[in-house]
This record gives sequence, structure tokens and C-alpha cells, in this order.
Amino acid sequence: MASDLERDSYSSEPDPTFVNSRREAIVIFCTWFVALIWAVTYCKINGYDIEDPANIPTTLGMPSWVVWGIATPWLVADLFTTWFCFCFMKDDELGIAGDEEHLEHAAEVDG
Amino acid sequence: MANLTFISSMKEHCMLAAAESGNSVLFTFLIYILGVFVIAWLSNKLLQNRNFLSEYFLGSRGLGVWAFALTLAATSSSGGSFMGFPAKIYTHGWVLALWIGSYMVVPICVMGLLGKRINQVARISGAITVPDILRDRFNSVWFGLVSVALIIFFMTFNLVAQFKAGSEILRTLLGPIDAFNSAVASLPEWFGNFSGLGADYMLCLVVFGIAVIVYTTYGGFHAVVWTDVMQGIVMVVGVIIMLPLAISQATDAIDSSDSSKTGMAAVTEEMAKMVPPRHVSVLVALPHEATEDTQIPPGTWVSFQGTAPHGANNRVFRTKQRHIIASGSQVAVVEAIEIISDSDKRRSFIAMKSQNENDTVGVVPSLEVRFVLNQATVKIPADYNGDLNAVKLQVRTLLPWTDENGTKRIARLYAVTSPVDDLKAGDALDAYVIDFVKTAGTTLETEQSVYKAQVDEFPQLAGIEITSLDDGYYAYGAADEEVGSYVMAPGPHRDSTSGFLPLSLAISFFFMWAISGTGQPSNMVRLMAFKDTVTLRRSIFTVALYYTMIYFPLVIIFCCARILLPGMEAEADRIMPQMAVTLTTNVGMGWLAGLLIAAPFAAVMSTVDSFLLMISSALVRDIYQRNMNPDATEKQIKKLSYIFTLVVGLGALVGAMNPPEFLQDIIVYTGSGLAAAFLAPVVFALYWPRSNHQGCIAAMTGGFGAHLSLYIIGFINGEGFTPYRPLELDPIIIGLFASFIIGFIVTLKTAPPSDKVVQKYFYKKLEG
Repeated sequence: MASDLERDSYSSEPDPTFVNSRREAIVIFCTWFVALIWAVTYCKINGYDIEDPANIPTTLGMPSWVVWGIATPWLVADLFTTWFCFCFMKDDELGIAGDEEHLEHAAEVDG
Repeated sequence: MANLTFISSMKEHCMLAAAESGNSVLFTFLIYILGVFVIAWLSNKLLQNRNFLSEYFLGSRGLGVWAFALTLAATSSSGGSFMGFPAKIYTHGWVLALWIGSYMVVPICVMGLLGKRINQVARISGAITVPDILRDRFNSVWFGLVSVALIIFFMTFNLVAQFKAGSEILRTLLGPIDAFNSAVASLPEWFGNFSGLGADYMLCLVVFGIAVIVYTTYGGFHAVVWTDVMQGIVMVVGVIIMLPLAISQATDAIDSSDSSKTGMAAVTEEMAKMVPPRHVSVLVALPHEATEDTQIPPGTWVSFQGTAPHGANNRVFRTKQRHIIASGSQVAVVEAIEIISDSDKRRSFIAMKSQNENDTVGVVPSLEVRFVLNQATVKIPADYNGDLNAVKLQVRTLLPWTDENGTKRIARLYAVTSPVDDLKAGDALDAYVIDFVKTAGTTLETEQSVYKAQVDEFPQLAGIEITSLDDGYYAYGAADEEVGSYVMAPGPHRDSTSGFLPLSLAISFFFMWAISGTGQPSNMVRLMAFKDTVTLRRSIFTVALYYTMIYFPLVIIFCCARILLPGMEAEADRIMPQMAVTLTTNVGMGWLAGLLIAAPFAAVMSTVDSFLLMISSALVRDIYQRNMNPDATEKQIKKLSYIFTLVVGLGALVGAMNPPEFLQDIIVYTGSGLAAAFLAPVVFALYWPRSNHQGCIAAMTGGFGAHLSLYIIGFINGEGFTPYRPLELDPIIIGLFASFIIGFIVTLKTAPPSDKVVQKYFYKKLEG
């Protein structure tokens, strides 16, 4: 069991970097799941067992099931990633490792 | 060494075209190697005045956006991305878009799920390696050792496989260059004898191996990262250049009378008409006996040339491997593919005509196919009680065969290739039968009555039958109702009747790329090295754009390759360099091929250097410094790091001289096995305060065990290195589920971690 002294050196609130990371990880996992459902479901319905492949519907020259089942969600995923990186994800303090301390010190001296 | 007559072929013709760009390929390659060594030298300078271990293995946790983004992207894109993936697109068509589809979320998953948190925890504990994190997070020496053992186990196999892949790629790239062939020819015989794969492979292995080992050993993590950046740029530039060239040239290659459409629509329409080729053997013959050994290179077009004893005379074939018609002989049995689609045939005959016109020796135009053969197994029954000395298994002997539908059929023997001097009851003999055609109705009845008459005349043949016969057609994609398999899912497949990508596998690949990628220790190490969260955010965005610019365009480019280069199933792994040469020479810019061809080499090099550093860091940091000599001086650590990196690299080089079988399967096994073992423990360690070392060790060994057991079951079932797939799901899914569930249950059944540990990693440290 930790001593009172050791326990007192930490706040009673969870570390914000941990909390933010966990929140972001949950959102990312949901994103992966949505991508899986969209791509696999759409391709299963429209890409498998096409009755008349000789006259396969095309969009932008590619089979339509590829465009709406893969290319479109890919584009949406890129847009989502952009929003996630620049609007949703928090900038958090990562801390300084022991092996970096001398670098910090050197930077201070140089400064 | 006998003088060999080299028969030119379409491929060789392309090689001639490539020869013009050959010098530029070599020039590009040398510049590239030089650049790598300059980077290593600069990186070594960075090692001065810094904490050696942290700098050598982790770049002092100071990677910026470009370095971090491109090293992660390039390390993930192994040789498979630029050799195996294009070959798969060419072979299976548009369904590869679904196969690679989860790359739309790979960057955000691989970097975002663990990135920020693992970087923070590594800083809190001062960890340099993944086992470091696990050991410190749980205060468990054993956990550290178990994870080191698994990393060394998986990575060692993988490193040997990657060394072989790198050498094979280099051999493919340099093969057409005269200077390279001259160098191979001048090598002493003992040098080539080190490897069963030939002197050219050996030379490529030594060049590739020495280059990677030297720059990685000397420069450490920063050398690896900055060469990755250079390699990442080479890859994306190559793809961007190829995309418009491929679309425009493929459109031009389609006969306008065939299609009113243009651009990719015409390409897709043409692909919809294609039927996968047939894999056969052909008996090719010269008009006269050869006066010296005559080589038939892989990729040579051959046909019946008007003499067609079996079927129409407009059949065209392409050889798969190099064959030699020995001096004094006139014929050879050659493995080949037969082009079946009409439009493919037309382009193939054009290619053959071009090949024959460019043949400087004059042998190719006279080379003709005499017979089409199928491989078969002839079985003598275990209870055979006749006189085996009287059995004559000679050409045109009729033998019965029961097909997959249970229909009794008759095949004509061409030759038995197994020794027949001492036949015994129960023997299974390898054989060729003459082009097997499935017959029905009166034709089949006639065949059976002829067979009966033969047995009446030669009763010793009774009971001897064919137990397996490969008619060469794709198991999925060749039947009438499966036409169009190149433009739809599941895509054609040579062996599987379910096609290339049944739905269960499509789901598995969403786990494989996005989730398995997150669980790779090589990616985790990079996530410990970025500078701050601003770098992480910008890097996720950068890698997302990077993958979008690479993977989807590759699908388009190599669908176009089906139009431009018919018959490349004969040597699908060469499609990337062949396409680069074709696209650039067609626009009179052969020098550009050097840049495009450097991409796959760059990809495999960036993977190998990372794996090499991971193994040596496990040995130096996790075993030596943390368990054997905690008080080791920096000088000792430095010396050992150089020595271990060098020794591990040289060991992998020696292992790759005669690599084990199933190498590609080993790469798949190690990749998914690492994820099954590491993902759950790391996720628990980072995000679950209640997690303890008992639960996480159970998660690690449980995932490893569940994954391995599926491979063992597959092996016991006689499927070699192919794992058992319950519900057709890949072992990675089973391994991950097992790992998470076992870890969860064991954690709850054992004591919680101490408050001290929980506070250290999950609560904010107060200032002062």
C-alpha cells in the first residue's frame, strides 16, 4: 500500500492526458466500426454476385460498388480524420522523461 | 559453363527497352544507396552529446511531423505493398479495393488509438522499448522478459523473411541490367554455392544485407527514420507519376471497335469480359535438335502455330519459369498459362508477334507447342496383386479418373515423371496427362468403352487410376456463370471455390490492417518517439493523405495493367517493375523507370531496418542492461548496441541464404501473432487502471496461444502453414478476442494493482 506522502504527490483528479486519450480512443474505435459496417455491408449487397457483370454499372469509370463502397467512405474518412486532428483532438502535456532532462537543461543554458 | 542461346521473348523485348533505361536504373540505385549512407553518417553525428540509448533506439523522443509520419507510413508499407499488392490486384481485379479498404482508417487507428497515451506512459516510466513499458507499468520483471522473448521469437523469423524479400526485389530490379549480369557471371562458383537460390540471389542478398546492416548499425534510430522519409517520398512520387500514364495508355490499348467508352470505363468494361487464364504444362519443340543448351526465359509467348492436335489453333501460352532444352534434345515440358479471353488473346498475339519480330537469334518464331499437358497423380492400389513388372505406363495409356462431381472419366497418359523402376503396391506417381477435357454423353461413353477394351487387352492395368488431376482452370472465376469475376467480389481464385475474398475474409482484413497494425510493436516504438501532441495530430492527417495517395491509386494502376500487359499471371511478382518500364518507355522517358522501380526496394528496406533495431534494442536494453548489468556504463552500452545490431543483421543474412519454406506465410503469421500477443496487454496497461500484471501476462500468452493453436490445428489437418479458420475467420480475430477476454477475466480474478502504481500512471502529478 502506498504511503500518505507518496499519495499526496498526485492530484485526486485523473490525469487529463489519460482522460483525453481514452475519449479519443473510443471515438476512433467507433470510426473504425462505422467504416467496417459501411464498406463491408455496401460491398456485400452491391459487389458480390452481380447478375450481369458484362453491363456492370460504373461511376467515374470504376465499378459503382467500388466507388460508393470504398472510395466514398475513404474520402469521408479523410474528412473525418481532418476534423478529428484539427478540431477534436486535444493538445496534452506528455511530460519529460529522465533521459530528456539533460536536453532540457542544455536548451535552457543555450537560451 | 555451356554457352546458352537466350531466346528472346516479350519480356526480354521489354528488357531490351529496359536496357536503355538500365543504366539510369543502376544510377538511381547507386545514388539511393549513397544517400542512405550519408544519412547514416549524419545520424551518427547526432549520437554525440546525447543519451546514447535513448538516441540510438528512440531518437531522443524528438521526432517532428514529417519524420514521424513518414517513418510510420514507410515502415508499415513493406515490400508487400509494392510487389505483392500489385501482383494481387493484377491477379484478382477490382476486389482488391475492398481487400485494402480498411486503410481508410488505418492512420487514425494505428496512431490515434494508442499514440498519445503510450508516448506519455513511456515518458513517465523512462521506457525506450515496448517490453520496458510493460515491465515498468506493472513492476514485473517477468512480464518484461516474456514480452522480450515473444518479440525476439516473432521478429527473428520475420527478419529472415524480409531479407529474402529484399534480395528477391533487388534481383528483379537489377536482373535486366547488363552490368549486373556481368558481375554475376564473374563471381566465383563457391560464392553462389552458399545459397540454393543461385549466384544472382546471393549477390543481391549480400548487397542488400550489408547496406541495411551498416547504415542501421552506424546511424541507429535517426538513420532509420530519415531513410524512411526518403523512401516514403520515393514511393508516393512513383505512384503519382504512374497513375495518369497507366489510365491513358490502357485506354489507347483497347480496340475502339470493342468499346464506345473511354478512360477507366473502357478499362472496367474490358475487364468484365476477361476470364482467368488456365495453368497448364506445354510440350514445346524446336524444329531441329538443339546443338547447344537453349534457354526459354520466363514470360516467353508460344503457340501451336497452325499445328493443333487438340483444340483450335488460336491458342496462346506464356511460360512461367526458365527452362532449358538440352543440347541434343528437341523438346521440353514447360509450365505455362493459357490465355482464354478473346480480347486478351488478341493482345497476347500482338505481344507474341512483337516478340518474334524482335528476336535476334531467330529461334522463337520456330518454337511451337506440340501438346498441352495437365499434372496428375497415378495411384497403384494398396491391394494390387498383379504383376507390376508387366505394367507399362506409356504415352496414350488410358486411365480412369473420378472428378469432383463423382463422374467416372478417362484421361490419356503422356508420361510418368516419378521413377518407375521398382513399382510397389500403394505407390503414388507424378504424371502428365494429355490436355484433359471434360466430356459427357456419348463421347464419355465411348471413352469408357475404349478404356474397357484396353483393360481387356492389358489386364495388369486394372485398378490403376488417377487420384488427382489438375485441369488448370481457376476454382472460382473460370465457369460460365462466373464471367466478370475481375470486376466483382469475391474475385477469381486459382484454388478456392469461394473466390479470393469471401465476406468473412473481407471482415477479417478490416481487423488485419487497422487493428493488427495498431498492435505491432514496431509501430508502438515509433509512437513513443514523437515530440508532442501537435506533432501527433499533424502526423495522423499527413499519413491519412499519404495512404490515400498510394493505395487506392495502386488499385487503378494495376487494373490498367491487365489491359497493357496480358499474361503476367505467369510471373505476377514482376508486374510492378514491368509496368514501370512499359509506362515510361511508351512515353519515351525510360530514365523515369529508375525512380519508379526504386519504390519497392525502398519499401522493404524501410521495414527491415526497423525490425533490425527492434531486436537489438530488446537484447541490449531489455535483457542486458535491465537484467544482467543495470550499472553498465554508456561506453559498454554503446559498444554492445553496435555489436548486437551487427550480429543480428549478419545472422539474418546467413539465415536468408537458404531460407525456410513458407516464407510469405511466416510473414503473415508473425505480423498477426504479434498483434494477438501485444495489443490487449498494451491497451489494458494504458487505459485500464484496474489492470495488473497477472491479467496482462495472461492476455499476452492467451492471445499468442490461441493464434498459434489455429496454425497447429491447420498443420495437423495436413494443410501445411495454412491455419485452421473457424467460421472462415482469420486467426488474428480469434487471437485478439481470446487475448482480451482472458486478460479481462484473469485481471478481475486477481488482486488489483497498488495505489502507488495507479496514481503514477493515471493521476496528475502535483507540482513541487
